[in-house]
Amino acid sequence: MSEKEEQQIRYRLKVLSQIEPSSEGLERTKERVRDTLSNTKERPKNNHAGIRQVFCNIQTIKIAAAAVLLIGLGFITGRLFVPAVDIEELQAALEPAIRQQLQEQLSEQWQRTYANSLTQIKNELAQQLSRDLAEFAEQALAASSTMTDQRIKELVQLIEAARAKDRQWIAAALEKIEFNRRQDNTRLGNGLVALATRTNDLRRIEEN
Amino acid sequence: MQKRHRELLELLDKSGASLYTLLTRLTLREETAEELMQELFIKLSNSRGFKKCISRDAYARKTAINLAFDWRRKFRQELQLNPEVCKPVSIDSSPLSKLIQTEELEEVLDAIGQLNKSWRQALVMRYIQQLSYDDIAEQMEKTPHHVRALCSKALNRLRDTLGTNQKNTTEKEI
Repeated sequence: MSEKEEQQIRYRLKVLSQIEPSSEGLERTKERVRDTLSNTKERPKNNHAGIRQVFCNIQTIKIAAAAVLLIGLGFITGRLFVPAVDIEELQAALEPAIRQQLQEQLSEQWQRTYANSLTQIKNELAQQLSRDLAEFAEQALAASSTMTDQRIKELVQLIEAARAKDRQWIAAALEKIEFNRRQDNTRLGNGLVALATRTNDLRRIEEN
Repeated sequence: MQKRHRELLELLDKSGASLYTLLTRLTLREETAEELMQELFIKLSNSRGFKKCISRDAYARKTAINLAFDWRRKFRQELQLNPEVCKPVSIDSSPLSKLIQTEELEEVLDAIGQLNKSWRQALVMRYIQQLSYDDIAEQMEKTPHHVRALCSKALNRLRDTLGTNQKNTTEKEI
């Protein structure tokens, strides 16, 4: 370990030793510590209160235990002095009422279950119907779109055919016009030649 | 109870400032020093050792040093989980140099925290509180010669720890 490093450590320790906290912080801290100590000093009173509380609790527990004992004693005495009960008579008296009550309860339960099932089936049917309708609408839309495409294609073909026929007619008409023009040219040329010949003949006759 | 309360208030008046300064130097945070000061006096008010000890001031100082280094240990763990905890006190004006210096000081304090209690106490009193060997010896109930030896050993260990740390850091960087 070099001396330089030792000096560095000593320097850092010196920097640490030069750190001074603010005086406001110091005063605030002292005040807080004083408050804390005062609060700690007041605590024993609370401890006495706690002890009193514990004593109160013990008395309450004693009273509660006495009450429980009395109730228990009363129950046992009652049990001992009640006359014996005829079980069969009791059963005969209770059975129809219990049966009736059980039937009512069962019927009510069945009705509730039936109502629940009905509602569930209704809901499922409604859902199924709406799903089917949606599917049908989708298929119909797809079919109509295909048919429309087909019709448009046919219309385009018809228009194309009509345009081709028109072009053919126009070409035939143009050929006819050209032919007539050539015939007219030929006739005109022949006429001119005949006229020139006659003109020459007439000039010769006049000279003679 | 009244007597203890009076003694604690006397201690606060007499050594409050130096204890607060010591806590600030060891934590590098004033707000933490404030909290630790509260904790220190609560601890002293419940402590049996404080009642029995000869020098109340020395006992409080020793407890403060232990509290501060306990806090540093907890803080380091917390720092690993959450790096954006509270910021330390400002030491210098330039932000970069402040950052570097704070980092270095934290490193030294962490290394001091790794020393055993008597070495740590002697080192802190000697180099951070700048007390004389005689004063330290009186407070630690040892001879000045013994204190001198403790400080020397503590400083050597500190050099070793910091040297190893630096070596590890350099290797990581490479």
